[in-house]
Amino acid sequence: MQPAQEVPNRKKRLFKADSLLGQWQLQSMIIPGVVFMIIFNLIPIWGLVIAFKNYTVTDTMASAPWVGLDNFKEIIGDQMFWQSVVNTLAISFLKLLIGFVLPIIIAVMIFELKDGPFKRIVQTISYMPHFLSWIVLGGMLISWLSTTGLLNQVGEMLGLIHHAQNQLIEPSKYWWIATLSDVWQNAGWGTILYLATMSKIDPTYYEAAQIDGASRMRQIWSITLPGISEMIGLNMILTISGLLNSNLDQTLVLMNTQNTAKAEVINSYVYRIGLTQGNFSYATAVGLGISVISVVLLVFTNKVAVKLNDDRQIL
Amino acid sequence: MMKKGKYLAVALAGMLAIGGLTACGSKGSAGSTGPKESIADRYTPKKDTPAWKLDKKKKVTNLTWYLNADWWVNTDAFGKDMITKKLEKDLNVKIKFVTGDNTKLNTYFASGDMPDIITIDDMTSSTAKKAASWAWSLNDLSKKYDPYFLAHAAKKMTLDWYKLKDGKSYGYPNFSNTQDDFDKGYVNPTTAFVVRNDVYKAIGEPSMKTPEEFLAALKKIHEKFPDLLGFGFNSVIEGASAISYSLQDYLGVPVKTKSGAYYDRNLDPDYLKWVQTINTAYRRGYLSDDTFSDDTNGFTDKLKAGKYATIFMDGTTSQASALQSFIDANKGKKYVAIDGPQSTMGRTITLRNSGVSGWMNSYITKKAKDPAKVMQLFTYLTSKQGMIQMQFGIKNKTYTVNSDGKLAIKPEVTALQNSNPTKYTNTYNLGSFYLFANDRTLANGAANSNAKSVQQFIDWGKGKVKSNYLVENVAPDQGTQEAKNYSNINTTWNTSIVSMIRAKNDKAYDAAMAAYKKAKKQYDYAAIQKIMNQKMKQNIKKLGLKE
Repeated sequence: MQPAQEVPNRKKRLFKADSLLGQWQLQSMIIPGVVFMIIFNLIPIWGLVIAFKNYTVTDTMASAPWVGLDNFKEIIGDQMFWQSVVNTLAISFLKLLIGFVLPIIIAVMIFELKDGPFKRIVQTISYMPHFLSWIVLGGMLISWLSTTGLLNQVGEMLGLIHHAQNQLIEPSKYWWIATLSDVWQNAGWGTILYLATMSKIDPTYYEAAQIDGASRMRQIWSITLPGISEMIGLNMILTISGLLNSNLDQTLVLMNTQNTAKAEVINSYVYRIGLTQGNFSYATAVGLGISVISVVLLVFTNKVAVKLNDDRQIL
Repeated sequence: MMKKGKYLAVALAGMLAIGGLTACGSKGSAGSTGPKESIADRYTPKKDTPAWKLDKKKKVTNLTWYLNADWWVNTDAFGKDMITKKLEKDLNVKIKFVTGDNTKLNTYFASGDMPDIITIDDMTSSTAKKAASWAWSLNDLSKKYDPYFLAHAAKKMTLDWYKLKDGKSYGYPNFSNTQDDFDKGYVNPTTAFVVRNDVYKAIGEPSMKTPEEFLAALKKIHEKFPDLLGFGFNSVIEGASAISYSLQDYLGVPVKTKSGAYYDRNLDPDYLKWVQTINTAYRRGYLSDDTFSDDTNGFTDKLKAGKYATIFMDGTTSQASALQSFIDANKGKKYVAIDGPQSTMGRTITLRNSGVSGWMNSYITKKAKDPAKVMQLFTYLTSKQGMIQMQFGIKNKTYTVNSDGKLAIKPEVTALQNSNPTKYTNTYNLGSFYLFANDRTLANGAANSNAKSVQQFIDWGKGKVKSNYLVENVAPDQGTQEAKNYSNINTTWNTSIVSMIRAKNDKAYDAAMAAYKKAKKQYDYAAIQKIMNQKMKQNIKKLGLKE
């Protein structure tokens, strides 16, 4: 962020009415965005009423009968739903623990590399899994984790595995498989924002630090990381508020009859019970519940992040 | 230039804003009398002539056909290939297909802006149950516009089954199998226990009917062909129907108790004896764990490579091309159906196919612009002539009639299908438009068929296929608490059955079964069974079953 006094003077007049009118052509460009928000974000909020109705495919929002809190009661009394909540939280926390820190470490490492072909190759390879859909990745993982797959073959070659095992049907391993495969897919991609922020750090800081005799680690600790702290805070807020939004695609391709108990997440359960059976009201009720909890998480994390960031607002 | 650009930006912004706001709809009105459209100036309906041959309407009728099936890929080809081109010419229509899911279907209902035809895939859904409010009854339409449909084209039992509370039928399905079809042997089996012929020969073609014989044969296979998987079955990752439902049928486990109540076949002792046998086979290393994590593609890939020595296979016809590629790549080797696991209590083998509900059902909506024309289309597709056209094409162009009366697709048509599938799709595309495909007699009438690789399976199963109307659609209604509980019980069962087969010791086996029994208690199976019993009684009444 640049200090306020550096903002050129003419920009300060931006909020005065005459200049607003003076650039009405530019200002009008925002109208489609506002309309878009109204149509796709504000008006659909009205649709939440179906969480309190029994809504079927042939109904309209008005014609469906009211059922009060029945849908919510149904959710609260459903053990399989709570099982999916536990799985969602467990997998999300593991993803947070590993998947949040790893991109920062990788970004710092890439940043420290000298510009050149090696750096570019590393970046490209680390981005690559991000562009594969879970349908493809799922097929690859099912085969890699099978008894004759990559993992067992490499393990046997190194003498780590003596008896080939199919990893995907071991319920106890599923949380880790889900976490690590997700991290593998997204860690490289996650570095982009950090690298972009790092490139904005004033190089004179590093020069000064070098003259003062700071080591490489010292420079990372005292210049690079503080330089991206706001971005880390922002990412933290977004990630934590999305804790309950588990990866549906991933779950649907990796889940099988043996790991269901550990693999079923809120989204997949709602998909199975709500949407495939045309039970829109149930799905909406769960969605509403998740949204409320997510907003609470968002506000809470924002508070914490602001505290950690010397009382400067991030959002 | 600059100024122009500014105004352009404003205009664009405005257009976007207005375009976005005009998405509103009008409410549809509901009435229960037949359509008002008169056909007096076009033709006089006749009982023995399909109305499309009589209709003198000159103007092309544009029809919109909505398929609640977003996977349907045949929409672009329609009207281009020889057979659908003929359909559009005969009826003087132009059909536009739209595909989507429940959300899109809901949009149609909510806006009131309905297509002419709607096809859904579940007659037990609330959409189908409320059909009287948004679709015309086929009885009314046929009487008014095209009596040929009721008299000659539609199957009576199917129409009876599709009757709603008002005693009228609204939708018409594809692949609906009536008792008549079963009795005449028109219905093909889709389940088989198959072995690789070279492997089977090498172990001396032993019987595999009893648990002991089954295990002994698998032992020999394991010794002689250690690289092969001794026993396999369809993918079970989305549900273990192959080794529960289908195996239970194969063993002849009844669907009702002696007193006529719904029977939980998962706990049948005869069936469990075989589950234990398969568990023993697993413990001895004849099964691979990958069988339980493979998706459908994984299963098909292994099938193509001939990885399995023996397979309990469900949906055999849909594996025809995989089986054919194994045959093509390995001279003289193929999978053959043999008498596999048999009941330990002397029950007879039973094979199933779809029941009278069929699969996808099509409705003529109350918003149809020319209901008479749409009715003609339904008649066209359900009549024998239409069936033949959709399945075999046009006489002497794509098929010939043999001296024994059987229809044979011309060799050059089949050849094109194999050599240039894209050109085939645009030229012939036989059998791809199956939204009204019903007549199994025609499928059996084919002197040559694409499914050579499964012909032996079908021949083996002749006479073993039986109808199962008693328990058709008896599951609790969608959206009810019981339906959700039933779904949860089934999810538990899918986990339990696979865990039972994979159990390393008796304790693990018992624990897996106990989990299923516990779920039945927890999710109030008794209430579900009560509903199913009621529905079975309704089925008996509705179809006049003698059971």
